[in-house]
Amino acid sequence: MSEVVRPSLSSGVYYRDPRAALKWLEEAFGFEPVMVVTNEDGTIGHSEMRFGDGMIMVGREWDDRHKSPASIGGVNTQAIHVLVQADIDACFERAKDRGAVVLREPADQFYGERTFMVADPEGHVWSFGQTLRPMSHAEMEKAAPGVTIRERL
Amino acid sequence: MAEVGQGVFTPQVFYRDPLAALHWLEAAFGFETSLVVTGEDGAVGHAAMTYEGSEFDIGGEWASPELIAEAAMKSPVSLGGAGTQFVRVNLKAGLDAHCERARAAGARITQEPTDQFYGARVYRALDLEGHVWTFQQVIAELSLDDMAKASGLSLRTKL
Repeated sequence: MSEVVRPSLSSGVYYRDPRAALKWLEEAFGFEPVMVVTNEDGTIGHSEMRFGDGMIMVGREWDDRHKSPASIGGVNTQAIHVLVQADIDACFERAKDRGAVVLREPADQFYGERTFMVADPEGHVWSFGQTLRPMSHAEMEKAAPGVTIRERL
Repeated sequence: MAEVGQGVFTPQVFYRDPLAALHWLEAAFGFETSLVVTGEDGAVGHAAMTYEGSEFDIGGEWASPELIAEAAMKSPVSLGGAGTQFVRVNLKAGLDAHCERARAAGARITQEPTDQFYGARVYRALDLEGHVWTFQQVIAELSLDDMAKASGLSLRTKL
């Protein structure tokens, strides 16, 4: 294994069926599994996937605090935004072909990003974005009248 | 490899009261507010915080059939404490002191700082609305083989 580098923050996503989720996330989004921890009964206890320089964890739901959206009516308490470097429309088509539920088709946003939003088979919401044009906060405020952007509380 | 995880995945954490969350997360966990977007009504529509160069988003609860079809974002406080994801934070040092600061600010510590078989010292906390955060500090660089021996678990790099 190459040098271990950990991001300072990473999300852990709960699934009813983590094994199916790992496969689907790889096929639909192109994430790569890098660590899969299996319990004695063959179930997945913990796993990590990478995409570019980013890392997420995929685990199973295990008590009332840790639930898949599939178990609580499709609601999400956290979601993940994925920054892609290029070909966001191709990412969208690939995800859709693999059965992602389309929540929002690719569209250009006022803040200089092209984004789309989909849900995976257990209802986790993923948004994807590609920067079209880096914009300052002042430029974003101009593009969205009535919106105020500050850099501190 | 240069800095990893900067911006590829951005966690988005939803709160009933995002403004209160920003204040609380600064005080309890030491995150820094980096972006606050308010609409004409003065409400926080979107915000971001940073920790050690990584950014994550803070948002309010929302649903909008026109914008995001059937999806809905809620705080654990609206779901009897249930959450669909957590965020893990890697500390470079000072894990125990970090935990005490969080406790003093009102975090509920659900797992006290403990050394884990995978070479990290970890604590787990609930924030003001019940989101799960885990904090870890690496105490030994272990290979997957080391971890497997220490735990009896199977660890692989493929599915």
